[in-house]
Amino acid sequence: MRIGLIAMSGVRVRNAELAALGVTLPQFVSRGKIVASLPSLGLLTVAALTPDDCDVVYREIAEVRGDDPLEPFDLVGISSFTAQIDEAYLLADRYRAAGVPVVLGGLHVSMMPDEAAAHADSIVLYGAEGAWPKLIGDFRAGRLQRRYEGLRSRVFEPPNYVVPRFDLLAGRPYNRVTVQTSRGCPLDCEFCAASLRITSSYQQKPVDKVIEEIRAALAFRSSPFFELADDNTFVNRKWGKAFLRAVKPLGIRWFTETDISIADDEELLDLLADSGCRQVLIGFESPDAEGLDGIDPRNWKKEQSGRYLEAIDRIQSRGVTVNGCFIVGLDNHTPAVFEMVRDFVRTSGLLEVQVTVQTPFPNTPLYHRLRREGRLLEERYWDRCTLFDVTYRPKKMSVEELEGGLRYLFAELYNEREFLRRKRQYMEIVKATHWATTQAWAATVRSHAT
Amino acid sequence: MTGAPSIEAEVRALIAEVTRRDASAIGSDEDLVERLGVDSLQGLQILAGVEKRFTVTLPDEDLIRLRTIGRIARVVERLHKGGKS
Repeated sequence: MRIGLIAMSGVRVRNAELAALGVTLPQFVSRGKIVASLPSLGLLTVAALTPDDCDVVYREIAEVRGDDPLEPFDLVGISSFTAQIDEAYLLADRYRAAGVPVVLGGLHVSMMPDEAAAHADSIVLYGAEGAWPKLIGDFRAGRLQRRYEGLRSRVFEPPNYVVPRFDLLAGRPYNRVTVQTSRGCPLDCEFCAASLRITSSYQQKPVDKVIEEIRAALAFRSSPFFELADDNTFVNRKWGKAFLRAVKPLGIRWFTETDISIADDEELLDLLADSGCRQVLIGFESPDAEGLDGIDPRNWKKEQSGRYLEAIDRIQSRGVTVNGCFIVGLDNHTPAVFEMVRDFVRTSGLLEVQVTVQTPFPNTPLYHRLRREGRLLEERYWDRCTLFDVTYRPKKMSVEELEGGLRYLFAELYNEREFLRRKRQYMEIVKATHWATTQAWAATVRSHAT
Repeated sequence: MTGAPSIEAEVRALIAEVTRRDASAIGSDEDLVERLGVDSLQGLQILAGVEKRFTVTLPDEDLIRLRTIGRIARVVERLHKGGKS
């Protein structure tokens, strides 16, 4: 049996002005290219959950797009995020019209199962663990069900857990590989449309399994940069320190997402720097406390906002850079937020920054609230869920002000002058910390001379 | 070229420290990105070390241009002599 697994990847912006601006902005394009060039970890996991006697083929959407004849498969699995879901449906419809059964999965399908089911012979909700092996068995027996539910807990426990099929990446041009250490996030932000929505609680993979996966990936890629496909890696400090100690000997360079509470743990920060971590991405969301009010049920982020700058300094002083993420268009944001974000970024010493517009992804708490309040601009707008297109009426500014503000921030933050300024700021931090003393330098030279 | 070998040796040690790789076999004019896989962040850490060690301020345009040990050493020499890079 030949199974085709097709990943929908890429980042696109619908707003023509932003798209035009985006292609000239080095840092935005750089991060966009990175995201677009990541392999689908979900489909590599699906491949690993497939029985050995099946021939599994991994494809990116760019390889199957167009009017070319469809590649022959006995079964097709497609995974997609919201912004590309209509393309996924079109491809699914083509395969089904050609008599090839299609299974749809991924975050959007889990959030909008009935919609997805209209374009598929079967859908998989939540993770593939606990669902895919049964689906394949049923398919072979000629009794494929319309819907399968993957596990929402005990995902990383045997027999549900498998090492993703990194061997399928051999010969492909990826220079980054994703590995997942956790699913979910305890913060439960209203807008979040990530793995939190497909888990019953925070799931953490045992350290030895993570290391096994990294080793498996290293067997097929030479010196890749690793991106942890997590939403909040260091929720459990004990696990975090054990992981950092275990990953250090592998000598890899890596990136992950976390929250600012890591800045409170000096030992963790030292281990982080020593482990090869190059950058952590942190969702600051808004530079002011008022803007953060109500975005998570405990108002945790609001409580932290007063120490954002100190936390950034503490992390970056280790040589680990912070990619600071801001969301504009939160309910308490007035047009003044755009200058506030610009000024915060300039003051903070952040080496990299990501600014996006609040996006009510389908079936999230934010989506339901805005829908209730009659603030969604369209009933169905999935192709505009790009994080850069405005899809709702903001509370304290107009749609045009939000769009204009985003353009303003792009122009202010993503240009060569700012890029150089941030590099220079980061170098000053490194000089003041890592290269702080001549004694340290002398020791360095001696150690490399011997 | 007086002084250049010692500057090169120190730059080499600094690169080894940042990349945690043996930089002794790298030629003066070999590209650090291609040869050692130095990423942009490591590049900035190396150049910060150069500025600290040799008490110079590298021109902004050099932050993306300095990709060989020889070139870094020559810029440091020139700056020490009060010249432009």
